[in-house]
Amino acid sequence: MTDTQWPRYEVFKQDLPGQPHKAVGSVHAPDAEMALLNARDVFARRPQVVSMWVAPASAVFSLTAEELAANPEFWQGTAVSPQPYALFAKRSQRRSMTFVEYAGEVVAESAQLAIKQALEDGRFQPETAIVWWAVPLSAISGSDPQDVDSYYAPATAKTYRQQSYYGFVSPTRKSVKREP
Amino acid sequence: MNEDPAKLAAFEARIARGEKIEPGDWMPAEYRRQLIRMISQHAHSEIVGMLPEGTWIPHAPNLRRKMVLMAKVQDEAGHGQYLYHAAETLGITREEMIDALLSGKAKYSSIFNYPTLSWPDVAWIGWLVDGAAIKNQTMLAQCSYGPYSRAMVRICAEETFHYKQGKEMIVQYMTQGTPRQKALVQDGLNRWWWPTLMMFGPHDSDSPNSAVLMRWGIKTKSNDALRQEFINEEVPEVLALGLTIPDPDLRFNAETGNWEIGPIDWDEFWRVVKGNGPMNAERLAARQKAHEDGRWVREAVAAYAKRTPEIGD
Repeated sequence: MTDTQWPRYEVFKQDLPGQPHKAVGSVHAPDAEMALLNARDVFARRPQVVSMWVAPASAVFSLTAEELAANPEFWQGTAVSPQPYALFAKRSQRRSMTFVEYAGEVVAESAQLAIKQALEDGRFQPETAIVWWAVPLSAISGSDPQDVDSYYAPATAKTYRQQSYYGFVSPTRKSVKREP
Repeated sequence: MNEDPAKLAAFEARIARGEKIEPGDWMPAEYRRQLIRMISQHAHSEIVGMLPEGTWIPHAPNLRRKMVLMAKVQDEAGHGQYLYHAAETLGITREEMIDALLSGKAKYSSIFNYPTLSWPDVAWIGWLVDGAAIKNQTMLAQCSYGPYSRAMVRICAEETFHYKQGKEMIVQYMTQGTPRQKALVQDGLNRWWWPTLMMFGPHDSDSPNSAVLMRWGIKTKSNDALRQEFINEEVPEVLALGLTIPDPDLRFNAETGNWEIGPIDWDEFWRVVKGNGPMNAERLAARQKAHEDGRWVREAVAAYAKRTPEIGD
């Protein structure tokens, strides 16, 4: 037990107010509070972050388009009891740092039924979704808005972490080609 | 391969269409195996890669260089975490991977089994080692497996700062430095040049995994192609600073537009890969010590977590 790597928490990062929280990866932590701290260290070394959510990976139900096609009745027999779910979707095959992003909330009797609702509701633009995630709201812990300055703002002052901080670095080329 | 031909054909068609394979999607067992092998080795390389540079943090020549180096080493730790998490989506646990590293079973990039003997070695690691890594990682950002690709896009964006800060230092020492500083820079180049070229891996003719990795969109360029791109980009830059590249056979082929190099010492490469490089034992011992020294922190955090019910309980 003392040497365990702890449960995995999925991390969602919001870069600017008004933008959706996006899944960036995961951290290991013994509880949600430590997960938020680890998420800050791993995913917020650079600007811009205004909020983070974490949820135990075990609480995330994931459904890919391939899984949906193979089993269109995936929601059969899953109903338990109604609770609110956050829904997340991946909508593009383009190269990206982030995976699924927040799409809205529904009340459903299971994660599967939450996705079924989204598939039938134009507000969720189901035709563009490649991967769905459903997470019970009760499993999501968010950063405290009061912590934003102390947690995330210091990264914005560390400009030497940015490649743009280093101007002329090439003796033969005018500027080094920017990596994607 | 004993895969279902219909599933395999559908999988390869998805890759041909440029779709990303995501956790939950069907994939051949060999695709999963190769990815776990590559991503975990890559994660270990980031973690061990903190050691050669971290040792210079207390000896940085000024506060600016110290802050930059600390930020860079911290990034490497983060990169290791991104990659462990990407590998975990394939069904291996971080614990298994870390056990493999600490027991000496796992491989990591051989370059980190060379010592950093003077401060300019930190600069050469930034320019050459991170430069070579970026070549490989920029390619892997196109990888067909979603989680690996996303980790690589994030890493490339951060790694470019590592490359630039290293190159900035070399340019500064060679244009404004004292004769002693210039001599240390040349000495560093003499030691880091060949091991950097070995980072791209064996020649294509000796790289048994390459064909299947390219077929499934994990790699999109061969070892030799990437190595040649790197050489062509960096040789003129290094020479422009008045440095000597330690390769008497190095020459520019005007017909092909390539800089051609002499033979790589593959005996040395395999010796280091097999654990007999100058620093293999020390790197492993340092990781084991770090893991043991951190035990009380893990215990304290676990005890704290027990105080309060967990989310989701």
